[in-house]
Parts: sequence; structure tokens; C-alpha cells
Amino acid sequence: MKQYIIRRTGYSLLSLFLLSLTIFLFVRVTGDPTSLLLEPGASLEDIANLRRQFGLDQPLWLQYWLFVKSFLTGDLGLSFYYRTPVLDLYFERLPNSLLLAAVAMILSLVIGIPSGVLAAVHVGGFWDNAGKIFTLLGLSLPSFFIGLVLILIFTVYLGWLPSSGAGTAWHVVMPAFTLGWYFAAAHMRLTRSSMLEVLGSEYVKLARLKGLPEAMVVGKHAFKNALIPVITLAGINLVVMINVAVVVETVFAWPGIGRLLYEGITFRDFPIVQAVVVLGGSMIILVNLLVDILYAFIDPRIRLES
Amino acid sequence: MRTKTVIRLDSNESAGTDNRKPSKITRRTAMALSTLGIVELGRGTAMAASPDGQLTWAVHVSLAPTWFDPAETPGIITPFMIMYAMHDAMVKPMPGNAAEPCLAESWKAAPDKLSYEFTVRAGVKFHNGDPVTAEDVKFSFERYRGTSAAMLKARMKAVETPDARTVRFVLKEPWPDFLTFYSSATGAGWIVPKKYVEKVGDEQFKKAPVGAGPYRFVSFTPGVELVMEAFDGYWRKMPTVKRLVFRTVPEEGTRLAALKRGEVDMAYSIRGELAEDLRKTPGLTLKSVVIQAPFWLYFADQWDPKSPWHDQRVREAARLAIDYKAVSEALTLGYSPVTNSIIPDNFAFYWKPPAAVYNPAKAKELLAAAGHGRGFEAGDYYCDTSYANVAEAVINYLQVAGIRLRLRPLERAAFFSSYSQKKLKNVIQGASGAFGNAATRLEAFAVKGGAYTYGNYPDIDDLFAKQASELDEKKRTELLHRIQQIIHERSVYAPIWQLAFLNGVGKRVGESGLGLIKGHAYSAPYEDVTIKK
Repeated sequence: MKQYIIRRTGYSLLSLFLLSLTIFLFVRVTGDPTSLLLEPGASLEDIANLRRQFGLDQPLWLQYWLFVKSFLTGDLGLSFYYRTPVLDLYFERLPNSLLLAAVAMILSLVIGIPSGVLAAVHVGGFWDNAGKIFTLLGLSLPSFFIGLVLILIFTVYLGWLPSSGAGTAWHVVMPAFTLGWYFAAAHMRLTRSSMLEVLGSEYVKLARLKGLPEAMVVGKHAFKNALIPVITLAGINLVVMINVAVVVETVFAWPGIGRLLYEGITFRDFPIVQAVVVLGGSMIILVNLLVDILYAFIDPRIRLES
Repeated sequence: MRTKTVIRLDSNESAGTDNRKPSKITRRTAMALSTLGIVELGRGTAMAASPDGQLTWAVHVSLAPTWFDPAETPGIITPFMIMYAMHDAMVKPMPGNAAEPCLAESWKAAPDKLSYEFTVRAGVKFHNGDPVTAEDVKFSFERYRGTSAAMLKARMKAVETPDARTVRFVLKEPWPDFLTFYSSATGAGWIVPKKYVEKVGDEQFKKAPVGAGPYRFVSFTPGVELVMEAFDGYWRKMPTVKRLVFRTVPEEGTRLAALKRGEVDMAYSIRGELAEDLRKTPGLTLKSVVIQAPFWLYFADQWDPKSPWHDQRVREAARLAIDYKAVSEALTLGYSPVTNSIIPDNFAFYWKPPAAVYNPAKAKELLAAAGHGRGFEAGDYYCDTSYANVAEAVINYLQVAGIRLRLRPLERAAFFSSYSQKKLKNVIQGASGAFGNAATRLEAFAVKGGAYTYGNYPDIDDLFAKQASELDEKKRTELLHRIQQIIHERSVYAPIWQLAFLNGVGKRVGESGLGLIKGHAYSAPYEDVTIKK
């Protein structure tokens, strides 16, 4: 078991190293940040001065080494655009992202799980078809489109909800629904397939043969077991929601990490992009590592096989 | 001792001196008037109602704390959106005057142009109550590290402060553009309190900035909003709006929705179809501001004898083939004026060229005379992808005349990097919003060695060298006008338009401040902004 954990941890660290190297190189491929921080026509001296300030005049390997070194000491660098420590910016935005992700997750589960159960129980029926349409739209409509349509309806025409920003409970409604719909669709699909699989299993057949009411068969025997993969997916989705709600946060001017990433990309603010991606990646790697370890604890075959 | 109480009576200013004469009245009269509520004691403060209400802007960019510190003014126009509220400059562009004395009461240049002496306005205070002194002016200049800082300091021999209200900038050699750089092209002339900065340090200053502007800092949430409140001790006038809020809303459609719902009072940068929608919405006003950003076509191959663009008739034909007004109408609702120049019309030493002409028949004639009766393959047309829509319109017009170009849009950074590294060829669609005057623009775009100059004309270089050392302003103006005239006559460039920045104004707003200062993209001066009663 110890060896298994060490190996898994090693893989995680390797993934983190590759992620940091990839994002470090990728942001630099996008171009020179000075061209966005100075007007076209700026003097060459000003451009050179800014590059020097940002350390972009150093060789790539040295820039990477400095990035890793400061990252390991908990220093994510200074934002090119805000000239503020990136860590401060990140933690200022994190509570907003957590709030948005939490509400969106609740919405996605409240919508996705019951509709998935209904669709599985009434395969081919009205609820199943309605669920398919809901899923199709949720997975295929781009979130910027959903967001703008919601703003048009609920802000411009009805005047019920604020268009953007944060601060009150009303502000979170539209962004959470926009973000949650996609994940509700994903949760619905998984609940439906998981339920169908469980409903076809021997012990459910036995429960029915015993004459248990259908509500009890579905609710007690099938639902609980079908929920396990959905909860696992929801856990990973929550991490994703926190880190990649870029479009939703931009459309609704929601001050979260997604928008911080958008700002970083817009201004070629390398330290911000690197920090958000590496921290987000670290969260996902950490969750996966914990899940791996947990599975190994639960199922000895996993650690023995590996 | 007689108390000096001042009522501001007029606002006649001329460059170099603030002509507003304080009217002196006796203590007894002042007290009587004060009791009646007619005047308020204090330099330069007219009696006005207390600031009231709040105005909110939906801003298209994320506000950066570096913009709260004039020492870090970068080479872009956006920070001035904040600086006009929070800070004040010795001399700065104001309505009707590109270099109005503000914290400086007056200034004078020595006859040999080797020094400039400024007198600090009496009785002016920072938000924390400290008086603005010559030491603060010197400190702000020496501390400045933003755009063109190295150049400014390299030319400076000394900054002297003979007394608390006098600052003298002594140059190593005459520099006719000193005032342009000190007043508008950099942040070196925007004054911060020395004592406060030294006490709190640079980093803390950005978190709790103190300035001498009409609004004082209240709070800032990165990526969300900036809140400021009226400073009742502002020397020019008491602001009428108590609270200003700048809220970042990156998405254009969301900004318009917020404006329609009344969540914000003004929304910056509403373009295209959304601008048309805004124009049609009752109660809202579309307000355009023409900024100092001309767009142009640059014929990069004109110095290559083998290129068709070497022939001046071909370049003239290209200029005549484009209906600039129609392009402006289609893309910016006609608000971007066709100035026919690469120099912004608000810049010093700007020469007004003849109006642009759209004459496709004449364009074809010129092409035929140049041996291209059936048109020709004109190569590539490079542009910044953000303005590919302009490029498409221009290419279509050129195509009709027989000039066939391939559109090569490049991502903004790649475009400007390639442009400055002289890697592009054939035709380049360029633009610049950099500060300065006609001389600084020409230096970058038309003179040998310029950052964006692909070739040169010796007579232009000679004239430019002469103007650089010419201390007589009239003669210098003539030289710079002549250069612009030559550029126009030789069709070195085909200017397209001077870009208009379109904004939405809500029904609560009285004076938006948009367009009051020529060439300035945002609301200003903020003390002039009002709410409808």
C-alpha cells in the first residue's frame, strides 16, 4: 500500500511538472505582453524597459527556473497588469468562485438527478424525451449564448434580475443557472444510465418479485446504488466549476477565478495565467490522487494489480 | 491682516498662465456674505451645493491599481480615466485647452529654452490635507518611472526648488517638446504627496492612494469596482456628484443591458449593432468621442523600384478608390471622422490636409496611366485582427478599382511586433493612439530610423532634423507642417479615419463629461460631470 501511494504521488508530481512546463511555454507562444500594455507606436526604449521589468529579457530556462522556484516558496509572482501579488488576487477571487460553483452544483444536482431518475424510470416516455432535449441543449448551447439570452429576458425585458456583478443573492441566480445547466445535463445523463443499469440488476428484480412497491424499489434499492458514480463525477465537476467558469464569469462580470484567468489571457499576464492553471491543475491532481488512494483502500484488487 | 477670500469669477485661461484673478474682499464683507450663504471661505472654491448622488460607469476594462499611481503611468490612454478623478497635474489637457495650468498657476520658459519655471498654485491641498508644494512636484518627477521616464530624465540636468511654490526644470539642451511630455504624454507632471508616499511606501500608496484631484479614493476591489467620493477642497470647483463608481463589465452586451436597466449610468465602448440598438433606445444617448487614434494604410514597398507601390500614381489611386465615409458609416455609425491624416487633429503642430476624395473613376485612370489598366495583384494586406472588419471594407473598395489584395489578419501582438520589426510587406493597415505631438508621431512613423518606418525620404529627414533643434515655435510649426504636406502629396500613407469611441449615457446623467476634452476617450473633467435635477 505504501509503495502504491508513493508511486501515485510520484505520478501526480510528474503531472504537475508537465502541466507547469506546458503552460509556461504556451503562454509565451501567444506573444509579447508589452504590445498590449503599451500603445502601438510606443518607443522601443519603453518596450525594452517593460520587458526588463517583467524579466522577459532573461533566457527561457532561467524564467522557468525562477517561476518554479518562487512557486515552491508560495510566491506566484507579480501580475504584469495589476502589479499586485498573484496570490492575493487569487484568494480575493476564490470565495466568489466557490460560491458560484456551490450554487451551480446544487442546481445541477437538484435538476440533473431527479430528471435522470425520471428518464430512467420512464424510458422512451415523455420524461425521457424531455430529458433528452434538456440534455442536448445543456451540452450543446454555448454558455455565452445562454447567459446573454437570460440577461435579455430577465434583465432587459422583465427587469427582475441584475445583469452583472456580485453582492446579493439575486446576482448569483443567472450565472449559477448558466454554469449549472451544462453540468445538470451531464449529471442527468449519468444518473439515467446508472439507474438503467441498476434497475436491470438481479437484486432489483428480486425486490420487485418480493412485491415491494415500485417507489421503494426505485427510491431505496436502485437510487442509492446508482448515485455513487454521480457523486464521484460531481466532486470532480465541482473542482472544474471553480476553475474554468471563464465565459460565465465574463458575461456576468462575476469576480471569480475564471474571470481572473480571462483577464490574464486578455492582457498576456503570464504570472496570472500560470498561477490559475497550475493551482487549478493542482486541485484536480490532488482530488484524483485522493480518489485513487481511497479506491485502493476500499478495493484491495486495485493496489495489488498496480 | 486682511483675509483673502476668493470667488471664482471667470475662466479665461491662456497657455502658461491662469488668468483667473481672485477678487479680494474684506473680512467683514466675507463674513457677511458667508452668513448669508453666498460665499465659502477658501481659495478657489465657489459656493456650490454639496455634492450629492452617485454615478456609475460600466467600464470595458479591468482597472489596475498601478493606474492609481501616476509614477507608473504606462503608454496607454486608459489610466487617465482614473487619474483625472484621483489626481491632478501641474499642466494637463482640459476643455478648450490642451495645456491648461492646473496645480501650476503659471509657467514660463527661459528665452534659451534651457529651463522651465512653474509656480505652484497657492492654497491647493491633497486629500489628506497636506499642501501641494514645489517639493512634491520635484519628488513626483524624480519618482516617475512610467512611459518615456528614461528619456525625460536623460534630458534633465536638474530640478530646482528655490522656494515652496517654485519649481525649475533645467534641461541639458533645448528640447521644444518638454511641455508636451510633461503635460500630456507622460504621468511625470501628475503630483503625489511626498510625505505620504515616503511614509506608506509605494505598495501601500497603490492600496490607499492620496492625490490632489476632485475625487478621493474610497475602495477598490480588483476586477470588480472602484469607488471614489467628492473632495470638497478641490481647487477648481466643488464636484456636484458625491460618489463615482467604476464597475468592470467586460462583456459589451452586458454593459448595454446594465445601462438599459439603469444599473449603471454610463457604459463605455458599445459598438456595431449594439450601438445602433443603443441609439434607438428611448432615454439613452449614444455619445461618441473621437480619440487620438488615426488609422491608415501604409505602402511598405514604396521604396522598392520593382514594386507597383513604388509608383506614386498607384498609391494615389488606392487613396481615391476608398469611400472612407461609407466605411465609417458602416462600422462606427459615421462617428469616426475622415481626417485624411496620420496625425490626430488635436495634436500640436497638426497640419489640416485637404479633405479626402472618393473618386473610383479617377483611381482607374491613374492605374491605367501607371500601366495597370486591368488592375494588378497587389500582394498582402496586413492588419490587427481586432480591426479586420475595417480591412475587409477597404479591400473590397480597392478590388473594385483593380487593386487585388489578400487579407492577412494577425493577432494584435504579433501584428505590432512584426510591424515594428519591419517584417511586413505590400500594404499594412496601421494605427496609433500614442501620446505626444505631430513631431513624436512623425518620428515613429515617417522619419528614418522610426520604430515603424520602412523607408525614408531624405527631404523629410532633413526637415525633421531642423525642427528638432528649432526653438522658434512658428518656424518649427512651418517645418512640421511641410513634412505632413509632403507625406500627403506623395501618398506615403492612405489615412482611413480617426477612430471614434462609442459610449452609452443613461437618462439620469446631466453632463457626461464625454468629449469635453478633445481626444480624451473618457468622461473628464469629473468635477464638471452632473446628474440631472
